[in-house]
Amino acid sequence: MWAVGGGKGGVGKSVLAANLATVAARMGWRVLLIDADLGGANMHTFLGVRGGTRVNLSDYLNDRVVDLEKAAIDTPVPGLRLIMGALDHAGNAETTREQRQSMIKAVRQLPVDLVVFDLAAGTDRATLDFFLDTDEGLIVATPEPTSIENAYGFLRAAFYRRLAQTMGTSPLRDLVREAMDRRNERGIRTPSDLLQEIDRLDEKEGGRFRQVLSSFRPRLVINQVRDSEEVKIGFSIRSVCRKFFGIDLEYVGYICFDDAVWRSIKECKPLVLSYPQSDAALYIRRIANKMLES
Amino acid sequence: MRPLSEQNYYETLEVTSDASLQTIERAYRIARSTYEPTSAATYSVFSEDENVEILRRVEEAYAVLSEARLRREYDARLRREEFNERPRTPREPAIQFESQLEAPPPTGPVLSSSPLAQVEFDLDEPVEPEDGVYDGTVLRRIRMSRGIELEEISSLTKVSEIYLQLIEGNRYHELPAPVYLKGFLRAFAKCLKLDPKRVSESYMERHYQRGGGKG
Repeated sequence: MWAVGGGKGGVGKSVLAANLATVAARMGWRVLLIDADLGGANMHTFLGVRGGTRVNLSDYLNDRVVDLEKAAIDTPVPGLRLIMGALDHAGNAETTREQRQSMIKAVRQLPVDLVVFDLAAGTDRATLDFFLDTDEGLIVATPEPTSIENAYGFLRAAFYRRLAQTMGTSPLRDLVREAMDRRNERGIRTPSDLLQEIDRLDEKEGGRFRQVLSSFRPRLVINQVRDSEEVKIGFSIRSVCRKFFGIDLEYVGYICFDDAVWRSIKECKPLVLSYPQSDAALYIRRIANKMLES
Repeated sequence: MRPLSEQNYYETLEVTSDASLQTIERAYRIARSTYEPTSAATYSVFSEDENVEILRRVEEAYAVLSEARLRREYDARLRREEFNERPRTPREPAIQFESQLEAPPPTGPVLSSSPLAQVEFDLDEPVEPEDGVYDGTVLRRIRMSRGIELEEISSLTKVSEIYLQLIEGNRYHELPAPVYLKGFLRAFAKCLKLDPKRVSESYMERHYQRGGGKG
């Protein structure tokens, strides 16, 4: 189960999610793509499916559809099914943690080989939970400082949420809440600072949290790369995450800036099918292969 | 993980203690671009002063690890410290090492490397083109995946950056005579750790097909 997120809108999360899912489906995997953007769903359009009044994720979350499998619709890509996100404001209901957990449980029981979540922009709880509850969390960023800033913000928020979830009712939970405010009085700026502060207050608990957090290993994709300097940005972000945040981020690959991407969006067909020989399609296939191999 | 101020030079550059000079140079280039004042990767993380301080440590680490004698002395010092099980402290500038050092112990534990120092700076991209043809587009893709600038290739091979651009752009009619071009291609391939003969033959075949090398 994969989730594609990254904080900022417009960095290519949905394009990557749609194309990774398509590559896997073309390799014979039974794939389910879930549009978890409950406020601005449009994955169906990327795949050439007309939305209209079709069943979507909100119908399941609001109990209008009981069986999750019935919320999945066929797409033009053989082997790839889609659960659409809500298309209007009425369907954009707040979900509870219990609802989301029960949905993840239901997803795991579906007869598919791979599930790909396309997450919304931002760091709301639902988005972070989907990111944390899947097996592989992919972060997409473009080489601009704004996108990178949001990617760091997303990583921090996901890390703190995982930590808070691990803590249960521990009094240290207040410390995490405090750390989330970057202007906190304790001078905690990074997840690494927070763990050191926890160690100082309760060494035993610190050890326990470190162990849980060692499984937090998000992956990074840099999108819309124009030159080799921008390829290196992925290594730089990885360095910062490892050295200063204490987050073991893996740089899984990059995608070249390529006009074929917007042409494929206009044609409502996944890039790897509409322009399979394009540079961007080649790099997406490489990322998909790496992910599928692991 | 220790704070940066307590990391040794290998940890600062994220290389293992047995890293080759080539690996150290590559790690240094990446560290430089990570912490330079205009870096997009750190713009929102550090203040300008912090960037300057980190960069100073990176430069200091590179100055020692890229110079064989200083590196030997530094390694000996690290071994001594590990041998004596002294707590690690910030390292003094390289210039002070020689006078402070005593001869390394004849035997002793080898330098350990922290998990941080196991970092690779390659994305492990496959180098084989899907159709087996090495043209300019493929060479550019491979170069980018290695994070190497044309400027670097040019300085290593002494081939003009303009010719390298023409090679990558598949601008067959503007390329130099085949006798020179073959040499340029071999040198280019070598920098990218590709088989020089195969790359040169593949590129030249396409070059002739597209009408290059005439006149």
